[in-house]
Amino acid sequence: MSTRPRTVGQARGRSEPGPPARAGRSWLLIRLTGVLLSVLVLGHLLAVHLLTDVAHTTSSFVLRRWSSGLWIGWDGTMLTAALAHGAAGIWMVVRDHMRPGRGRAAATAVLAVVSLALAGLGWYTIVAVAQTALAAR
Amino acid sequence: MSAAQVAFLVAFSLLLLILVAASAGIVLASARASGPGGRRGMLRALGLSPSLPAASTRWAHYLHRLTGIGIFAFLALHIADVSLLAFSASVYNRVHLLYDTPPLRVFECALVLAVLFHTFNGLRLILTDLADLDLRASQRTLRAVVVVTLMLGLPASVLIMAPVL
Repeated sequence: MSTRPRTVGQARGRSEPGPPARAGRSWLLIRLTGVLLSVLVLGHLLAVHLLTDVAHTTSSFVLRRWSSGLWIGWDGTMLTAALAHGAAGIWMVVRDHMRPGRGRAAATAVLAVVSLALAGLGWYTIVAVAQTALAAR
Repeated sequence: MSAAQVAFLVAFSLLLLILVAASAGIVLASARASGPGGRRGMLRALGLSPSLPAASTRWAHYLHRLTGIGIFAFLALHIADVSLLAFSASVYNRVHLLYDTPPLRVFECALVLAVLFHTFNGLRLILTDLADLDLRASQRTLRAVVVVTLMLGLPASVLIMAPVL
């Protein structure tokens, strides 16, 4: 048997198998939403931005899309998951690069406010546009 | 050019600024971590001049964070530009016209490549932990991530650029 580290875990200096100790549970949120987003975002990119040229994703295109419950549900789920994933990811970067203190607390607060505001704006848009689309039918 | 279009371009410039700042932050942090040793030490810290086998996938860690920050910044811009539709269809359409320009089409290609890399590298990180892959397997899966990203991203880029070529 060689003495070289066999696994990444051993190379990192872990003796026990399993995930390394991480602060909190945000890594789990990142991974669960990440797996979900790998389907939702790639599907969204393909259907909305590759199979339809950007010149054609006009207001009438979005109205047509958001008259379908499937796409409303798809985009709403994707919006929520993407913001949770991104906020948790950037929070990890903040924790890695900023020492605990007022600066880090301020950065965390800004991140939380911006993420919640974006979620509110996104959901308001989906509901408002879907209502217009359904009224026009 | 309308006020909404100017606002969009200002927000878009801010996104590019965030990307430049994040890249500079990564380079400076790695320079600090590498200590004395000049450019070679820095390349080593970035994982681009791997003297240690464990450092050979480090560049992917930095690129994962950079693409993540860039995608989050674009998500904010994208939510804002689509939200214009809830207020006025004509304002939305005027701002949306900007996406149909060669520079923003090039940006869209970069965005697709960033999303593809971030997705497949993220899945690789989950696999590495769940299957407790060894270093060599982790390097092999990273090569696969690069190949898949380019195999899907380059045809997508051709599709995006075709109307203006």
